[in-house]
Formats: sequence, structure tokens, C-alpha cells
Amino acid sequence: MTRPSFEDRSLLLHAALDGELDAAGVIEMERLLAADPELAAEYARLKALREAIRAKAPRERAPDSLRLRMMELAETQQTPRREAKTARWRDPPSWRSFAAAMAATVVATLGLQHLIAASNAPDTALQAIVSAHMRSQISGQPVDVVSTDRHTVKPWLAGKLPVAAEVVDLSEAGFPLAGGRIDIVGGAGVPTLVYKRRDHLISVTELRAEGEEAAIPRHLAVEGYPVVRWSDNERAYVAVSDLSPIDLDAFVAAFRRAVAKGGGGGQKVFETPP
Amino acid sequence: MTSETARRNFAEHVLPHLDDAYSLARWLCGDATDAEDVVQDACVRALKALEGGAAVERPRAWLLAIVRNAAYSWLGKNRPRAIVLAGAAEEAEAHADALETAASPSPEAALIEMADRAMVAAAIDGLPLTFRETLVMREINGLSYREISEATGAPIGTVMSRLARARALLAQKLGTAP
Repeated sequence: MTRPSFEDRSLLLHAALDGELDAAGVIEMERLLAADPELAAEYARLKALREAIRAKAPRERAPDSLRLRMMELAETQQTPRREAKTARWRDPPSWRSFAAAMAATVVATLGLQHLIAASNAPDTALQAIVSAHMRSQISGQPVDVVSTDRHTVKPWLAGKLPVAAEVVDLSEAGFPLAGGRIDIVGGAGVPTLVYKRRDHLISVTELRAEGEEAAIPRHLAVEGYPVVRWSDNERAYVAVSDLSPIDLDAFVAAFRRAVAKGGGGGQKVFETPP
Repeated sequence: MTSETARRNFAEHVLPHLDDAYSLARWLCGDATDAEDVVQDACVRALKALEGGAAVERPRAWLLAIVRNAAYSWLGKNRPRAIVLAGAAEEAEAHADALETAASPSPEAALIEMADRAMVAAAIDGLPLTFRETLVMREINGLSYREISEATGAPIGTVMSRLARARALLAQKLGTAP
């Protein structure tokens, strides 16, 4: 067996650091690292560099004013005026009222396709679902079964409930699974999946579809939380989160697409290292 | 008026990745306000592409490719000198740098760990453009090699060598006593 050249070994080292090696490559790398202290020192340097970058140059959050303008973009297709908006949002109010304002914007801009039911008293099922979401946040225990793997969550729920819940992998879309729990709605247990988006949690509860359930997502606000309700394949879903309504919308779109695909979701080509 | 499909795709493919788009734009043009302009331009382009029926397989890499293009247009207009060197000449120069780096004393992991925010930011800012974008896409946006290749249009081998050199330059800057 030939020894890889200096250049190749260096690239291999980076690929190892980036989690881009296959199993055979990892074994080869481990062998090289064990045999070559200089290479091992280089690896330690690269790891230190990665830590320094992650800790001191983190990914930044897009300003809310920008997010808001981009939400408007799809609606108007005109370049939004920046100055006016920037001034208006320079001192953002508290998150709760901001969320309400965002919800109002979404409501205003999404137009007639999405029926707004917020004016009606929300039904008791929605109330129960939102309460469960709020309680899960307060208690710090959002899930009964903690797992990022849908193949763990699905059987766990199946073992506790008479219905088989749809569990999809949305990590590729930026919503990794956090786990699942059982909520009580209308006196019966229903499956709720919990997904993550940065520090926010999204609860999706599956209900049996009632007669005239609309397939088109309906946007509501319950207790100040944005809620989206829709149905697919005779199952009704309710998603609730403290995410911005537009992020929640993106989540719902990704969820519906994954369900339509048969629960597969997107598969990762390369695993990103933690 | 935008079609319903394009609007839904925009909400699904573009809006969830605004933080990534903004972070990349910030590192490419170096300023928060300019980054907002670049992201806005990129979103307009993305919406147009979706309107035209663009098929999007990996939304994040797709959007970041558009952000990169928008940033390059912006740089071309506002900082022409910044991209004069981008491309072959820059690669050659950086290669020479890297060779020189290999001859100088080895950076110390402990020193790298002690670098503060300003030092790390300055070191990244100091990287040649193509190295900087590759490093930012990998370390800050968390893209895979394949996604970076897709977003920058460079072959994976080039992505790998740019990343290796970007890291060598950073380690040298942060890990050797001034």
C-alpha cells in the first residue's frame, strides 16, 4: 500500500474533521493519526480552530425588519421600501406583541386563500392543543419520548395509542425532530410530535379529520400563539409554536410535502458533524 | 402578482434560510446594512427563479448560491477592488502564501483557542474572497462539501483545497504569537 502524499493526507485530515469520510476513510485516518504525532497535532489545531470559529463567529440572525420585508416580497413582488420599515421596527416591541404584529401582517398579506378563524371562539380541541404546547414549554419537558429518530418515535406512539401517527423526518428542511408526546384532546389521547427550529419548538398534533375539514391550511391565533390547522389523507393536523408565523408556515409546507412523499422526508447526502 | 405555487415555494425554500443568507452576505460584503441589501436582492432573484419554475433540490445550497451571486454583483459595483483578485490570480497568490505558511513555525492550538471575537472576525475578514466564502459556508452555514460545490460552482476537489488553505491561513494568524 502506498503512503498518501502530504497534500492528500492534509485534505484527508480536513475531510475527517468535516465528517466527510466514509467508513474506510475513517479507519485509514485513525491509523494515520495514531502513527504520526505531527499529523495528530495538526488535527488538534484544526479542531481548536473550528471551536474558535463556532464560539466567536457564530451564525447571525437576520434582522426582523429584513425578515418582515422578505415576507412581504412574495405578496407584492415590488421591492419593498426599506427606510420606512427600518424606522418603524427600529425598536422592536416585546416578542409577544411582535409575534401578534407578525401574525397580523401574515393575515393581512396572505389574503383570501387562507380563512381566518381567529374572530370565532377557538374550539375546545384547539384550546387543549395550545394549552398542552404551553404547558410543555413551561414544564421544560416538551416530550415524553426524546428522540431525533422517527423510527424510535413512531413505534413509541404506536404502542400507546390506537392510531398509527405519521412521523416524518424534516431535518433537511431545518426542523429536526425532538421527540413525541401524548396530549389529551376531547378526553382521548392523541399523538403530538415536537420539532425544533433553533431554540423554538413546534408541536404538531394529529387528529382524526372531521367531515368538512379544509385541506388548505387555516391560520389562527390562540392565546397569542400562531396556530395552523390543515388536513391531508383524512388526517387533520394542528401545528402550534412560538416561531414567527412565516417560519411556522414553512414548517407546515415542509411537513405536508414529506407526508405526501410517504413519510420519507429528505435524506442527507453527507452527515454534518455535531 | 406572484403565483400561489411560487409563493409557497418561497415560504418553504427561502424564508427558513434567511439567517444563513444574511450571515453569508455579511461575511462577503463586510457590513450589516449592505448585507441586508444583498439578501433582499437575492430574495428577489430567488422569487423570480421560482416563478420561472426552478426545481430546488437542496434549498439552502440553492439560496446561498443566489446570495453569493448577488454579493458578487454588489461587490463588483461597490468594491471592485475586492474581486479584482478573485479567481486564478488569487488562487496562485494564496498557494504561495500557503507554502510560506508551511515553512513558518507551527501555530499552537492553545493560542487559537484563546483568540477573542475581534481577532477571529479580523482573521476571517482578511481571507481572500474565495477562501472566505468557502470557509463561511462550511463553518458558519454548516454546508457539506457537496453543497458548497453546488453553491460556488467549484469542483469538490477545489472546495477541499480552498478550505484547507483557508484554515491554514487562519490557524497561522490566530495561533502564532504576534
